Amino acid sequence: MKTIVLGIGNPILRDDGAGIHVAHQLKHYITDQKVTIDEAYTGGMNLLDMMIGYDKAILIDTVNIADAKNGEVKRLTLQNSSATCHSCNPHDVSLQEALRLAEKLGEKNIPKEIIVIGIVVKEIPIQFGEQLSKNIQAAVPKAVEMTLLELKKIQRRRKKELT
Amino acid sequence: MKTITIDPITRLEGHGKISIFLNDEGDVENAYLQIPELRGFERFSQGRRAEDMPQITSRICGVCPVAHHFAATKALDAAFHVDPPSAAKKLRELMYAGYFIYDHILHFYYLGGPDFVVGPDAPPAKRNIIGVIEKAGVEIGKEVIKHRAYGQKITAILGGKATHPVCGLPGGVSKSLSKEEVKDIETMAKSCVEFAKFSLKLFDDIVLKNKTYVDLILSDPYQLATYNMGMVDKNNKINFYDGTVRVTDQKGKEIVRFNPEEYTKHIVEHVEEWSYIKFPYLKKIGWKGFIDGKDSGIYRVGPLGRLNASEGMATPLADKEYKKMFETLGGKAVNSTLAFHWARLIELLYATERSMELIQDPEITSDKIRNPVGEPGEGVGIVEAARGTLIHHYKLDKKGLIEKANLIVATTNNAGAINMSVRNAAKGVIKKGNVSNGILNMVEMAFRAYDPCFACATHTLPGGMPLEVNIYDHKKSLYKTFKRM
Repeated sequence: MKTIVLGIGNPILRDDGAGIHVAHQLKHYITDQKVTIDEAYTGGMNLLDMMIGYDKAILIDTVNIADAKNGEVKRLTLQNSSATCHSCNPHDVSLQEALRLAEKLGEKNIPKEIIVIGIVVKEIPIQFGEQLSKNIQAAVPKAVEMTLLELKKIQRRRKKELT
Repeated sequence: MKTITIDPITRLEGHGKISIFLNDEGDVENAYLQIPELRGFERFSQGRRAEDMPQITSRICGVCPVAHHFAATKALDAAFHVDPPSAAKKLRELMYAGYFIYDHILHFYYLGGPDFVVGPDAPPAKRNIIGVIEKAGVEIGKEVIKHRAYGQKITAILGGKATHPVCGLPGGVSKSLSKEEVKDIETMAKSCVEFAKFSLKLFDDIVLKNKTYVDLILSDPYQLATYNMGMVDKNNKINFYDGTVRVTDQKGKEIVRFNPEEYTKHIVEHVEEWSYIKFPYLKKIGWKGFIDGKDSGIYRVGPLGRLNASEGMATPLADKEYKKMFETLGGKAVNSTLAFHWARLIELLYATERSMELIQDPEITSDKIRNPVGEPGEGVGIVEAARGTLIHHYKLDKKGLIEKANLIVATTNNAGAINMSVRNAAKGVIKKGNVSNGILNMVEMAFRAYDPCFACATHTLPGGMPLEVNIYDHKKSLYKTFKRM
């Protein structure tokens, strides 16, 4: 079972790049050969392309959930949330639309499970910069921990399947 | 006050907003499109190493990384006083053609095409790529995916990475092509030529043979007679990667021609208090407000702007299509905003033909891909991004660090025109306060044609390109709101 962990965001747009910061940290902890960790400065179709061929995908991204507080970290599934992973511009489709399209065209290598580790960012940054704000910086270790927990669950399942 | 909300959105920052004002009769008095703009790039760049700019600027936007990469690289060529070897220029241009291939395919089939293939008033749930495939068939869907991926693979082979290239260096590129890679690219490019021909045929069958659509393209709400701008070669044929910027008038006559370093002499930016985005206009003509015609300095860039500003395409098949378009739509300049879609497909064909020419050029495997750089100074780089003219301007200090940086991106160049197109479409289709989703889509079609790129890069979940349309009555109180993700 192959897993991909993708930190998503724009590394030069302050809090928007939180997912990328998490991916950087994760590289110190993940040694499992079956886990790929990468950064995605993109959404929609390109994001789907990066996940093709993996059994499971963990996306770490910023989210804005109405009743959550800035800096909270939430585990979401793409299937049961209304979240659409998507470059914020009119020149792309959402990740969900890209997934539907791939299914329709008979693509067999879509991950069976897509989990989102969402870092709640209440204010969308509009100023360029590489630093995270205090609250979001504090959320990074939490997101790292939650991602590692997800990976442990997968590992356990894999072991069970082997025995 | 009645509020209708469609597709609830949780995020209100970072969205596009259209405000439509109605008069006593419920007809449209005025309409504005507000686009958020990312700020502080100049400050962000100051003190950074100049050679990092092609990588940094390719992060600005998740849509046009390749365009930013090469505008930056060309600005550095100029700033370091170096002319890249001929092979390096060809490699850059080939990679650039790959970017045009995937970008134009994505727009036509996923974003602009559904309005025509599925229909402009089809329910939003059907008016997308899935709807296109339901109508055109799964096999065509597979071809679309395949050729979009080919464009990306060509870019990735040359650029190191498809989405965020690392190959451009001042004075050349970092990587040459192997014989094997040439073979791969040639196979893909060849297939792309056929696919581009097919796409034009599809456009012909579905759009041009349908009188309703042709009437729609030629209808008043979608006309805009601005100046046109695009980069051309010495024969005035379109070139995406290099050349001279040419501006033509409403009849197709050249009125200005300039080299990248002269752009500040010809382009000025107008500021409006209701908009974050600035509105560039031609200095020679002047700012006269949001009006078109020969007295107003507003111009259009992007596929239709480029076709209008040139005298043809530099490859045979695309040139034939170019002539056909102008013959069909009544000669130069074509002012129908919806003709952007046709122009885009003609450019797709050109990009595929040009990639064949370049890959079959014996020099493409040359090792001479970089020239030594000179002393750091000031430089401007201009490329044609898929959605229009893109300008990067840097001033370096003696150590080669960025002192000043200025960018004018394609959608900014089009900002004035997009605003007018939205207003004209709203005026044409909203009557007596009657607004529905279908009518609203007719307004959206006016700006979708430009393939605009708003607040580049932010993609925060839940994402989507949120759009809010507020309609105000004659007392300027909110009458209706439409929101979508």
